[in-house]
Amino acid sequence: MSSMHLMLPEYLLAGFVLLTLVGNMVVGDRVRVASWLGLIGLLSSFVVSASIWSVSLKPAVLLNGGVVVDNYSLLVNLFVLLAGIGAILLGWGETRWGQEFVALVLVSVLGMMILGLAGNTIVLFLGIEVLSLPLYILAASEHTAAGGEAGLKYLLLGAFSSGILLFGLALLYGALGSLSFINFASLTNVGTPMMWAGLSLTLVGIFFKLGIVPFHMWVPDVYEGSPSAVTQLMAFGTKVGAAAILLRFLDFGFYLSPQWWGPALGYLAVLTMIVGNLLALPQTDLKRLLGYSGIGHAGFLLVGVATHSLDGARAMLFYLLPYGFAVLGAFAVLIFVAGNQDSVTLSDLKGLASRRPLMAAFFIIVMLSFAGIPLTGGFVGKFYLLQAALFANQPGLAIGLVVGTLLGLGAYLRPVQALFSPADESRPVPQWTVGGAIVLAVAIIGTIGLGVYPTPIVHMVNQSANFFWLH
Amino acid sequence: MLVVWLLAVALAGSLVTLWVPRQGAKVAAGIIGALLIILYIGLLLHPGQGVNVPWIPAWGIRFHLGSDGLSLFLLGLTVVMTEVAILASKPEWGRMYYFWILFLEFGSLGLFSALDLFLFYIFWEIVLIPIFFLLTSWSGVKGRRAAMKWLIMNLFGSLFMLIGVVAVAVIHTQPFGPLTFEIAQLAHLHMDARVTPWIFAAFFLAFAIKAPLWPFHGWMPDAYGEAPAPVTALLAGVMSKAGVYGFLRIMLPLFFPEFVRYQTGLLTLAVIGLVYGAFMALRQTDMKMVTAYASLSHIGMIALGIFSLTRVGILGATFQMVAHGLMIGGLFIILGLLEQRTGSRDISAMHGLNASAPRLAAYFLFFALATLGLPGLPGFVGEYLIIQGLVAHEVAFAVIAIIVLVMAAWYMLRVFQGVMQGPDRGQSILDLKAPQVWWIVPLAGLVLLLGVWPNGVTAAAVPSLYHAVHLFAVKGGGV
Repeated sequence: MSSMHLMLPEYLLAGFVLLTLVGNMVVGDRVRVASWLGLIGLLSSFVVSASIWSVSLKPAVLLNGGVVVDNYSLLVNLFVLLAGIGAILLGWGETRWGQEFVALVLVSVLGMMILGLAGNTIVLFLGIEVLSLPLYILAASEHTAAGGEAGLKYLLLGAFSSGILLFGLALLYGALGSLSFINFASLTNVGTPMMWAGLSLTLVGIFFKLGIVPFHMWVPDVYEGSPSAVTQLMAFGTKVGAAAILLRFLDFGFYLSPQWWGPALGYLAVLTMIVGNLLALPQTDLKRLLGYSGIGHAGFLLVGVATHSLDGARAMLFYLLPYGFAVLGAFAVLIFVAGNQDSVTLSDLKGLASRRPLMAAFFIIVMLSFAGIPLTGGFVGKFYLLQAALFANQPGLAIGLVVGTLLGLGAYLRPVQALFSPADESRPVPQWTVGGAIVLAVAIIGTIGLGVYPTPIVHMVNQSANFFWLH
Repeated sequence: MLVVWLLAVALAGSLVTLWVPRQGAKVAAGIIGALLIILYIGLLLHPGQGVNVPWIPAWGIRFHLGSDGLSLFLLGLTVVMTEVAILASKPEWGRMYYFWILFLEFGSLGLFSALDLFLFYIFWEIVLIPIFFLLTSWSGVKGRRAAMKWLIMNLFGSLFMLIGVVAVAVIHTQPFGPLTFEIAQLAHLHMDARVTPWIFAAFFLAFAIKAPLWPFHGWMPDAYGEAPAPVTALLAGVMSKAGVYGFLRIMLPLFFPEFVRYQTGLLTLAVIGLVYGAFMALRQTDMKMVTAYASLSHIGMIALGIFSLTRVGILGATFQMVAHGLMIGGLFIILGLLEQRTGSRDISAMHGLNASAPRLAAYFLFFALATLGLPGLPGFVGEYLIIQGLVAHEVAFAVIAIIVLVMAAWYMLRVFQGVMQGPDRGQSILDLKAPQVWWIVPLAGLVLLLGVWPNGVTAAAVPSLYHAVHLFAVKGGGV
């Protein structure tokens, strides 16, 4: 297949970005038309990605090594498109955020897709920036003080981290004389200080996007101030993109020299799992809670990378999906409960079990998946990570994972218990919305499906992360 | 396949109760419970029918369910006690209550029939969830804290066990074994002496917390005290057996040499629990708490039987698990009926109730005598076998166990005398009525049957235990 065919998902989405912008200009009910166009664009890109995946092609290196299209990049496409569809549906018909909302979401998703197929440092940086710039704007689209704070904080810290990332990439180029990950591999075994500094700074830049402790400070504030649909995109999509490029960068470029980064990643993973879940414990604002929980889950993802094994790569890739379903479900319920409010605290959840039993039941399933209770996808994901850690002979990572899970438990159970408290009668009864209901239904089917019969997805992930040079 | 049908009916039934009219939930749950008992009788007539199909082939995980002498009667205990608990519950507790009770039954049935370690672990955690919600929504004022304590303490043990589960399977693959979670295959494992103590500790912690064994019983007073009586009956009658069953099913085959090495320490732990539970039971003034600590003491006794590592002791423990489940469950239900009628659990607040409620008093006495080990009732059989097993190896522990048996009579009769006998102060309560008698009589009859015909259980359990003991011989441990 030609490069045109293989990159069709990206081209399609880019085309629909333009269409959406045009649609914004010409028609009366602008937001609705843009939403439909965006949804069709994401869905068609999803279908095309899935169909290219299913013909199971060999990895194709295109554009002078800048782009690698393989099953891995296509699976990443599927994940981030899911996040994008979720964002559009959750923000369906919302006029407060301006008519650019849909186009910006599409551009951001495009950035995430670029991260999935990046093969050299230039495309890496391009992806990070295409992902981030729309999110800076989206974060500030709530016209409140918190929204402005979120946008500005994200912009300043994001620009700062991009600078670090760019500096790191430049140092790497200086040290190794190449831009392409595949060329790095043979050059990195002899560590020069310059390469070491370049690698560290690059990793810091990616960790910032992923929300790894100690680069996580922005996460809760930005999550809290952004509109829920956008926060969902950050929590799911950005994490997929950053994790995908982290894995590609290290497992393609530095797979021969894990001594430079393996131990550091291991310690950071344990630190992140513990700190993230620990800080989630006292939160009363649901979005902040999900923010800290996202930090904790980034730590779980890092476990897979830190093991530096085929199992670890697959486990990390698998874990993204149950996590993403849980994020979609949690934000759908959050939007129902919020109504016209900006934020949802734990006391807003009171009485949901008696007022909206089905909604409460779905929320419980989602929270149990976050906590990693069996028959939900979260458990299977954690089990896979644990397997990877022990196969790699790293019991420390396994223990860190368990301790992090235990700490997180308290955070996820408090909202669940709040559902059963007597309702505050002055609060309106949460109303279903069509878009939110679709997202929630998909999230619940996915969560339970992954928990009860994960075999097809396990197979799919194993096909996708076929980095045979790892062991 | 009958085992699968049991599980499927329990799961489907739990979902059905969510869609029946609110007032009909109890009836629906009762019918489903009865259906499960009928299915179980079918299983009893045709045991050994299991199912073993691949589930997640990439990880060597199989959907392997079966029933043998070890688990067959625990499955029976589960279906019987759940049905009794449903019948003893109030209709106004609503659909969700009965959903969680049946879901708990689903989890327990799966737990007792799983023969794949991964599947076992799934059910092991699944049963925590219904109890959490039952404690959250249908219990006393401190129910939420009890629910949190229950889930977090139990998951603390379970999650470390998860590391153990995976570690055992990973070790089995080295150097050339297949990745499998079959308990029967993992039993042939030879582990590195440096990691074995840690894996042993991971499993032991989980099982000891669930049972609970002293000193891991921190969640027990809160949960037993706060839960409604039928749920306490399930907790003490069925759930506590899950932990002990884990020792028998998983730990004995996998870690027999470690059991031999740590035997004195384990026996000491069990005997401390036995004595501690008895003393705590003596000084409680709340009749439900007396029974709760009595249960802790009994679990210590069952653990003594297992840790004696003799065939007769383990057989006694297997028998006592079933018998204790029926007896303590029945006792908690009777206490619940009593609490409903008097509105109090304080022993000193009640006197001479047998004047107005002779039937209630009679059943109370029956279950109290059964738990304290009166000959002719099953408690005696189990304790006799356990002590016989202990005498063969560790006489000192046997002597302590016998002394505690005397204390058991003391604390049980203290409650009975305080509540039922003594001067009648004109406190008058409603006696048991026909619908309640209908299900208490079969339960009492079942207890009586076990007491006079223990061979029905032991004869079926011996072949499975023989298999286990045979395994010990293969692994080089003494019997």
